[in-house]
Amino acid sequence: MKKRWGTALVSTFVVCSMLLSACGANKPGNEQNTNKQTSNNTQVAEDSNAVSADGFPIVNESIKLKIFTRVAPVNGPFPEMPVFQDFEKMSNIQVEFIETPTDGFPEKKSLLFASNELPDALYRSNITPLEQIRYGTGGQLIPLQDLIEGYAPNLKQLMETYPEIRSAITTPEGNIYAIPGIVSVGSARTDKKWMNKAWLDKLELEVPETTDELYEVLKAFRDNDPNGNGKQDELPMTSRGGLAIVNTLGGSFGLDFQLGYNINLEDDKVNIWMGSERNKELLMYLNKLYSEQLLDQDLFIQTEAQYLAKQGSGNTGYFFDQTNNPMLETKVNDQYIGISPVAGPHGDRLQLAAPVPRDLGAFAITSVNKYPEATMRWIDFFFGDEGSTMLRFGREGEHYEMKDGIPYYLDSFLATGDQGKITPYAGGGAPHLISENVSSYINPPQVQEAQKALDPYMPKIRYQTPMFDEQTAQKINVLRNDIDKYYEEQSTKFIAGTLSFDKWEEFQSTLKKMNIDELQQLYQDAYDNIVKKN
Amino acid sequence: MKSTVAKKGGVPRLQSRHSRRLKSITSRYDLYLMLLLPIAWYLIFHYGPMYGVQIAFKDFSPAKGIIGSPWAGFAHFERFFDSYYFWRLLWNTISINLYSLLFAFPIPIILALLVNEIPNKAYSKLVQNVTYIPHFISVVVMVGMITLFFSTNGGPINTFIEALGGKPIRFLDSAEAFKPIFIGSNIWQSMGWQSIIYIAAISGVNPQLYEAAKIDGASRLQRIWHVSIPGILPVIVILLILDIGHFMNVGFEKILLMQNNLNLESSDVISTFVYTTGILKGEYSYTAAIGLFNSIINLTLLVLVNRFARKKAETSLW
Repeated sequence: MKKRWGTALVSTFVVCSMLLSACGANKPGNEQNTNKQTSNNTQVAEDSNAVSADGFPIVNESIKLKIFTRVAPVNGPFPEMPVFQDFEKMSNIQVEFIETPTDGFPEKKSLLFASNELPDALYRSNITPLEQIRYGTGGQLIPLQDLIEGYAPNLKQLMETYPEIRSAITTPEGNIYAIPGIVSVGSARTDKKWMNKAWLDKLELEVPETTDELYEVLKAFRDNDPNGNGKQDELPMTSRGGLAIVNTLGGSFGLDFQLGYNINLEDDKVNIWMGSERNKELLMYLNKLYSEQLLDQDLFIQTEAQYLAKQGSGNTGYFFDQTNNPMLETKVNDQYIGISPVAGPHGDRLQLAAPVPRDLGAFAITSVNKYPEATMRWIDFFFGDEGSTMLRFGREGEHYEMKDGIPYYLDSFLATGDQGKITPYAGGGAPHLISENVSSYINPPQVQEAQKALDPYMPKIRYQTPMFDEQTAQKINVLRNDIDKYYEEQSTKFIAGTLSFDKWEEFQSTLKKMNIDELQQLYQDAYDNIVKKN
Repeated sequence: MKSTVAKKGGVPRLQSRHSRRLKSITSRYDLYLMLLLPIAWYLIFHYGPMYGVQIAFKDFSPAKGIIGSPWAGFAHFERFFDSYYFWRLLWNTISINLYSLLFAFPIPIILALLVNEIPNKAYSKLVQNVTYIPHFISVVVMVGMITLFFSTNGGPINTFIEALGGKPIRFLDSAEAFKPIFIGSNIWQSMGWQSIIYIAAISGVNPQLYEAAKIDGASRLQRIWHVSIPGILPVIVILLILDIGHFMNVGFEKILLMQNNLNLESSDVISTFVYTTGILKGEYSYTAAIGLFNSIINLTLLVLVNRFARKKAETSLW
């Protein structure tokens, strides 16, 4: 009996402590909720506080916004960024950031909407078109077009200059639920093609102009010891992990990336090219590179950090990135030049470029926001030169100086290595304007040179992912869930050589079975809509 | 007191039994009070959330809430059964578990029998400690270790293969190697921990039985076979039933961390599919339906195995 009492006691104790800990865990959350409510109530009382249509401060009496944001590994805490500290004083709007790391961000974002515990706005949030439709029509995000009209002079101006912005963010019903990050400088729309010039010179090779020449160059990199250490340890070519390589080299095989998907536009005809002969040629070419160890063998399992380290190692022959920052950090940038896309077997030479409205869904206002007008003015500031300079460069004199009307980081500041900490643009996806005027750091002379090599091959117009109505969006989602998964997995296997090209017909017929034709038709309809509107 | 009065009054037996039970409850009210806590725990945290299962039959929209979303019938189930990946998901989920059961279940038992046979107490304690310490390694660290060990740049296994004159093998992105690596590392990590229960059970076997067997001239293997194993058989059966109870819930985090496009063929299981389409792509109703399907299979298996065990081994959960 004694023994049983002992077990009973222990088990009660365990259960009690579990219950208690559950209560304990709940408490802070509850407190926060009540806090939020009381602060909301006080905010309601201040509602008479008028929002000025231009000039600063935006509101006379200070207001507070809760903004959910993504934080990249390079960033410091948002409240410590000079841009937000200074702008708070200027605008009289206090922002409380709910910071979420990039890893696991999509999960947090989904749960936010699923649990309906909304912040006032989402910042740098990469809300996909489907999510915009879903949460917009569900009433969790509010339509912004009227607010843009009345309270966003900078954004309005940009949308007039670049009509593709409006078509990319407006739903078929005419609503705008999220504001994108906008890129007007060409160099920020492309990944430069960095070629190791030092190795080319050492082996007395020319810059490759065709895919065949590229193959020969890579083979020479592999075999002829261009780094001169007597070992075969050179990495001829690498790329961002996964299937990024397909879109990077696709242009040489006549494969474009329109409407945010694997789509070619020919005479106003949408053509999804995943099962096409051209794609087969591309995959066979990549398979050749991979199987001969010319292409990084870790391509499909490497992380972003590993990729950046390889860029800075100086032991890589050919790779793709927007800037030369990783090379600058390790001072190997002198070895590299930017080259033009190589011409494929059919003479295609197209450069992959992101659309002007580049980072979709970067900012959105939710239905719980009491001050949508003020919030719109707050975000619009960053789409002007003044705001975007402040966002990207911090404080004049402390972080940057003006030369010929363009801001440059101070050398003394760059030497601290804190560049990524003070600005939310580092790590990508921040809602602001990236123009010629604010890109001295991402667009130094070497990168400008590299962009010049790409300029002749830029696509005339690059359509962003179109907006669908809710029903179509749902249909596309169901179709693409299966198709994309299948396409990515099989393409990876084709490249890695674990799936032979004898199975190509099976690949095509499976895509057909997954109703790729229906998907193509849906994109065609969306494209027709865009063309009609313009 | 009341019940004695009732008895004297000659009230029908049913009521007297009733009041006797009431009395036994009141006399041990403290035990029942204690029981209240776990019951409340189950009601609040396990049965309460179950009303959310209905989103599997609805087109859930967060803005409308669980109750307000429109009904969709079995549409989500149909979509899953018609899905291209259905059979692959099902096969991977089942096969990983089947292999685990086949290889990972007996090993702790064997280990426990071995440890029990070691005459040197200090050495047997050492073996126990060494084998159970890996249990405390977190999943992320574990996968990091696997990645290091099987890496093609200087991973010990490939270095060994190269030293023997072979070519390095890309274990981590090969579909064939996934299941052996996954299950093998699971065995390495948890065999010591799981063997503790068996070791405890063996130490509960009456030593007189061993002595009797010895006197009858039974060899060491015969003693294991005829004394130790029958002695711990009930424990084995119970643990087997419990294992089958979460047959379909494989180590989700570990698989997700080890997954890549090249081994997806054998690493794509229901739970990771639910995570990637449900949480990441926001298809809550669809994945709730898949999760429900998964749980139903689990429950069915549990009931079947329990019934089988009750009939054959005379040991069961209920």
